[in-house]
Amino acid sequence: MLFKKGVEELVDDVKSGRLDEDSVVSYFKERSARLNPKLRAYISTCTVKGNNGPLHGIPFAVKDNMQLNGTKTTSGSKILENYGSTFTATAVKKLLDNGGTVIGKTNLDEFAMGSSTEYSAFFASKNPWDISRVPGGSSGGSAAAVASGMVPFALGSDTGGSIRQPASFCGIVGYKPTYGLVSRYGLSAFASSMDQIGPLTKSVRDAALVGSMIFGRDLNDATTIDKKINVMNTLENSIEGMKFALPSEFVKGLTSTAKIVLEEAIEALKRLGARVEEVSIPSLKYAVAVYYIIAPAEASSNLSRYDGIKYGLRVEEDSIDETYNQTRDEGFGKEVKRRIMLGTFTLSATYYDAYFDKAQRVRAKITDELLKIFLTHDAIVGPTTPKTAFKFGELSSPLDYYLQDIYTIPANLAGLPSISVPMGFVEKLPIGLQIMGKRFDDSKILQIARAYEKVRGEFPMPNIDDDGGEK
Amino acid sequence: MKSVIGLEIHVQLSTKTKAFCSCKNEVDAKANTNICSVCTGQPGALPVLNDQVVEYAIRGALALNCEIHEVSSFDRKNYFYPDLPKGYQITQYFHPIATNGYVELNSGKRIRIRRIHIEEDAGKMFHSSENITESISSLVDLNRCGIPLIEIVTEPDLEKPEEAREFMEKLRDVLRAVGISTGNMEEGALRCDANVSVVNDKGHSSSRVEVKNINSFRFVQHALEYEIERISKVMESGGDVPMETRGWDSISKSTVSMRSKEAENDYRYFPEPDLPILVVSKKRIKRIRNSLPELPDEKAKRYEKEIGIQSENAKILSKDKELSRYFEDAIKIGISAKDASNWIVNEVMALFNADSMEFNPKKISLAHLKKVIDYTNSSKISRLAAKEIIAEVYKTGKDPDVIVKEKNLLQVSDESSLIPIVKEVILENPRVVEQYKKGKASVVGFFVGAVMKKTNGKADPKLAGKLVKKVLDGEFE
Repeated sequence: MLFKKGVEELVDDVKSGRLDEDSVVSYFKERSARLNPKLRAYISTCTVKGNNGPLHGIPFAVKDNMQLNGTKTTSGSKILENYGSTFTATAVKKLLDNGGTVIGKTNLDEFAMGSSTEYSAFFASKNPWDISRVPGGSSGGSAAAVASGMVPFALGSDTGGSIRQPASFCGIVGYKPTYGLVSRYGLSAFASSMDQIGPLTKSVRDAALVGSMIFGRDLNDATTIDKKINVMNTLENSIEGMKFALPSEFVKGLTSTAKIVLEEAIEALKRLGARVEEVSIPSLKYAVAVYYIIAPAEASSNLSRYDGIKYGLRVEEDSIDETYNQTRDEGFGKEVKRRIMLGTFTLSATYYDAYFDKAQRVRAKITDELLKIFLTHDAIVGPTTPKTAFKFGELSSPLDYYLQDIYTIPANLAGLPSISVPMGFVEKLPIGLQIMGKRFDDSKILQIARAYEKVRGEFPMPNIDDDGGEK
Repeated sequence: MKSVIGLEIHVQLSTKTKAFCSCKNEVDAKANTNICSVCTGQPGALPVLNDQVVEYAIRGALALNCEIHEVSSFDRKNYFYPDLPKGYQITQYFHPIATNGYVELNSGKRIRIRRIHIEEDAGKMFHSSENITESISSLVDLNRCGIPLIEIVTEPDLEKPEEAREFMEKLRDVLRAVGISTGNMEEGALRCDANVSVVNDKGHSSSRVEVKNINSFRFVQHALEYEIERISKVMESGGDVPMETRGWDSISKSTVSMRSKEAENDYRYFPEPDLPILVVSKKRIKRIRNSLPELPDEKAKRYEKEIGIQSENAKILSKDKELSRYFEDAIKIGISAKDASNWIVNEVMALFNADSMEFNPKKISLAHLKKVIDYTNSSKISRLAAKEIIAEVYKTGKDPDVIVKEKNLLQVSDESSLIPIVKEVILENPRVVEQYKKGKASVVGFFVGAVMKKTNGKADPKLAGKLVKKVLDGEFE
């Protein structure tokens, strides 16, 4: 039953000699090989061993938009299908330096643009709770791999909810640290002002443990901040006396069953001695609109480098302009093209003021309103997603699809730390509780999440094994 | 007709490493050797600002009398071209580091600088054919990608091509004086695009034309002269001057249309999210200001007022750091200021200029220069011989003492050896003697010339003149 164990437990087992490190890695590699045809979590598999360290013998998976020397890093795109990494992302390197072993690169929506992995250029990953449903996205491969026990933990990236939403859909923990706490060096950029790497794990303790290993100022990323944060120290502290805000804007769209699950979670928090107060944050209604102006704008620029000149797909034509056009036409999928066009439009000289500049100002306003809440409240709580995992092809309109991120986007706009913890089931599908704190309050949101996790009790794993999961 | 000219100048900063990565800042290395994941735009690579770039930009901006902004920021300029690996150039569009400076021309006219901002250079393209439209393939060298630049934008204060050239030369002198760039236009370390329009006598103005590819100080003037004349002719004939970008072709000595303004890119500028806002403290700005060396114009004034040399010479000697040090050291070793300035400007610089070489103090050591000047002042050699000796020192580095001996250049300056030669030339030219006797005193010069010829230039011309007169006047009969 190794696959049910969390990172901490496996570390202890290896350290005490109950398990030897090679057998742990090979166990998870075998389990991955067995389950992957069903769940399609990986784009590629590998064995990249790290140094000696606390994670010695612990395997993990990395979203395929993070560079790892010796592997192909596709970012889920045809344009980078054969791109070999020339360096290793700082966050991945830190885990390798801590002793971890990478055993797979996980599937994602192309360049992390999507909420289901349906926009991966290669294939869609499946939700281990119901393989006719999406695992969420864009870190859907990482979420499916962790939820099914193919790896004890995985790294994902979150620009508008891409760690938390798949965590919510797959019944695991997904943690997006404060912007600037984890280096983005080596992460294929989608929207640089919001992209953040974080862990997907089975427990809050594991999320804190992995998080603490990847934090820190990186000389290769000028937006990282030198801040000493010890998330492990306060993790088990009581949350008695804390005050949480539940934005009414986060409750409106919920189905009645989801509301019941949320109310149970709120009751649990109250039992722990916290107060939960419903508040209204009016500017939140603009969050999705603002996000879908700023993120595509930054993306349109970030993706300009994929031009067929230096690396990646190149469709040779007679002129340079035609080579650009054909390379990008064949290399990018439709969602990526849609966002490049959106971003190109909103940044154009004629529309810059009306769209990009205005969106930046509304972004500042949203950040301001959120900050005001934190003057009187310790955290903002609510559901991570309005609904549970949807079926493949169910959300055909881009607008419905974009609304998936309605609760997760504000944290990215304001650079806040945010975590999704499983809080229950709606019609047999998991849904997460989201806890958001002010910038650099990562210790506090992890502490709240951990306290909640304890009163909630053990969260089940999906029954994905044909043979009952034992060998 | 009146012309209105504004310049946009790119200056490569001579920092050790590139602007946003730690690759060496060396343009002429083997193609694609000074490159890394950052400057080639690999996925996931991020820019980190090199602080030396900030230091150099502030030095340059202060030397050009600019206001430095404590808060500035970076933006992206987006366009596709194979020499631009990221698909955007990092620049400062919305909030540049410096604004409001000026350069003062010799006439006293001030050319205002609108802004100075930091940006990165692009790579270099090599096309398979001279003409880009005929090329079937192109190669790209990314060594230059990410090399730090400052862009200097002037107000349209220049009215003549000569002023534009003088501005560029003064700018180069300042950049070199503060040590932030080689300022070499031929090598592309200093590049100039000119915006020019012409206003006719009725006050009617032409559209603005941008002239690119100007890669020498001479061409700044030539390209603008050509373009102003071209625009003027079109206006005179009643034609329309389209707003366009033209390139200077130094072979045909003309400008050629490159693209119309309508065909220009929309660069989709927006704030660079990978770089934090750039903050420089008042203290830092003050420290840099205090560390600036004496600038060429200040130095020229000092040479004129305090050392008392001619204004023209003072300007030349203060242009270049090496040259002014050479001049000041010459005075220190005992050469008079007047001699030092005259000899350096008229003799030494003439040699470098003839070879189109940069001044290099090692070619003519001060000790050697002093010897030549001393020989001349004590009439041991002629002025002509001095010229020859300096040229020889410049060429071979030999000691003047050795050259004087080898070439036998010491002047004949004792009367006893000159008198027979003087008598000889007088006897040989009886008709000229007649002229003298009739009162034409200027023929003395003719005899001196003849004496010089007979002595292979070694006679002391002053003494020779004296003796010629004496002989003609019969004092030695």
